[in-house]
Amino acid sequence: MTVDQIPATGRTGPVESTGRTAPPQRPRISMTARRHRAFYLFTSPWIIGFLLLTVVPMAYALWLSFTTYDGISPHWSYVGLGNYTELFSDPQTWNSLGRTGLFALTSVPLSIIAGLGLAVQVNRPIKARGLFRTLLYLPAVVPPVGVGLTFKALFDQNSGAANGVITLFGFDALGWLADPYARYVLLMSVLWAAGNVMIISLAGLQDVPRELHEAARIDGASAWRTFRSITVPLLSPVLLFQTVTGVIASVQTIMPLLLSPDGTTAGVTALPQSNYLYMMHVFSQYFALGRYGYASALLWVLFVLILIVTGLIFKFTSGVVFYNVDPEAKK
Amino acid sequence: MTATSLPPNAAPRVRVRVNRLVLYTVLVALTGLFIGPFGWLILSGLKTPAELAASPVHWLPTQVQWHNFADAFNLIDFLGYARNSLIIALIYATLVTLSSAWVGFGFARLDAPGKKTLFGILIGSMMLPQMITLLPTYLIFAKLGMVDTYWPWVFWGLAAAPYLVFLFRQFFAGLPRELEEAAIVDGCGYGTIFWRIFLPQSWPVLSASFVIAFTWSWGDYIAPQLLLSTDRSTLAVAVMSTYVTSAGTPVANLQAAASVMYVVPILLIFLIAQRGFVAGMSTTGLK
Repeated sequence: MTVDQIPATGRTGPVESTGRTAPPQRPRISMTARRHRAFYLFTSPWIIGFLLLTVVPMAYALWLSFTTYDGISPHWSYVGLGNYTELFSDPQTWNSLGRTGLFALTSVPLSIIAGLGLAVQVNRPIKARGLFRTLLYLPAVVPPVGVGLTFKALFDQNSGAANGVITLFGFDALGWLADPYARYVLLMSVLWAAGNVMIISLAGLQDVPRELHEAARIDGASAWRTFRSITVPLLSPVLLFQTVTGVIASVQTIMPLLLSPDGTTAGVTALPQSNYLYMMHVFSQYFALGRYGYASALLWVLFVLILIVTGLIFKFTSGVVFYNVDPEAKK
Repeated sequence: MTATSLPPNAAPRVRVRVNRLVLYTVLVALTGLFIGPFGWLILSGLKTPAELAASPVHWLPTQVQWHNFADAFNLIDFLGYARNSLIIALIYATLVTLSSAWVGFGFARLDAPGKKTLFGILIGSMMLPQMITLLPTYLIFAKLGMVDTYWPWVFWGLAAAPYLVFLFRQFFAGLPRELEEAAIVDGCGYGTIFWRIFLPQSWPVLSASFVIAFTWSWGDYIAPQLLLSTDRSTLAVAVMSTYVTSAGTPVANLQAAASVMYVVPILLIFLIAQRGFVAGMSTTGLK
């Protein structure tokens, strides 16, 4: 703790560690005012960044969503709610929205169940526990492009291991990456990262007081009952966090793009129907058709939908989620 | 396990042993399922194009094609793309770690009217879909002439990341008050306190944050795809789109070899930094 820059306030020589007396002369402004000023000074990078890199772009997108802007042509016009009325009458919007909803409704609960199940198993006193944890978590670190290419190799019609296995059992090779199977490959690619939920639940599990489990066991509760009545309620804040972030992540996943044969934004229109999610619809309007105004309208609709959905999740879980561990942790 | 509280007769002990056997079998099988895909990717990268195209699957390469890795390295400017990825990731991870620590200190140790609201917005913004801001951000950067430069990553880095701010806030809030009191009495500014007292204490969080930010950037696909031209782009974009012959047919075996080389650095970083990384991941879950 070297304090080598003592401001020239009349204090010279070494500082005595007597402590608590008020500093002489120095503060023309009060301590509190100084703390307030410092608070804004410290948080300003984020505040300014948030305004410039989030609020401004979103406002800009809102403005664009009322226009026919395409990024190149100087001739664009203000169309009011035109993009929005078109969007709602476009069957592609509804279809892709429905697929996205279905994807979120399956992938999020399955990941949470899988992750929680794994966490409970690797939290038991078993041999090589650390190794199991690491290996199960490893795929969660793989970047999306890595996941996409790995699953393409795995589910390739000719060279994929998946078809290798099913043909061993006498089934015909399937075109996994095309309709109607592409959606299952997408789901599996998401479940591959269940280690994420596992690692976060594991931290939660370690905070569950041991006495609670022991008391339940003495009372004759079964393992399942203990899990349901003690573990799950105590983990509920963690599970809520996982649900909300999971839904948001699944809504904006770019995995269908990375799993497609072409695999770039240019080929977005050639995606298998079953993986043509809402974000893919945005990309196809944006990249393939250059309709920035229309795509911005799509994004704003998505934003509002996400707000509504997360609001509903919080509302419906408010009675169920159980904050206990530490009152500080409750936000 | 449960065995300890049971009376020492034979039947439960056998049951416990069978249970253990089942548990280990299930765990090993699951681990195989999770690790298997990597194995397949590596095998695919070691085959010839003919083997990859053959209709009943060739499980193992008849002759291991080690040179695929060298070819994948040479077919495109692999090193150049890797360098771009590395530069961007280093810029972003360094800046975002420092700025997030700075902001996290503010939220942890200082007070002002509006702090609660600001913190609420910070936490809420963690749930904001990035994709929604990214496309308009691109258009704005294009207007400012910053497309095809690394400036956007500098700005994103300087602006701090809510997730990492939260991480630092949790850590700084846990440090004792005495740490800054003496320094305040001595007339030190909060900047000095942060820089000289708090930052040197926080190596574990700093490294966790750096690793997390580095992996984000290394794994990012859409931002470099949007903002950078092909030759300035990152390895993530290159691996995805450039493995084609001059005739335009994709070279699957080289792409597989390249993806192995793209993923392995991240896995290594994870394995080395595992402790901090996992600690970082788990703090947020306990919000």
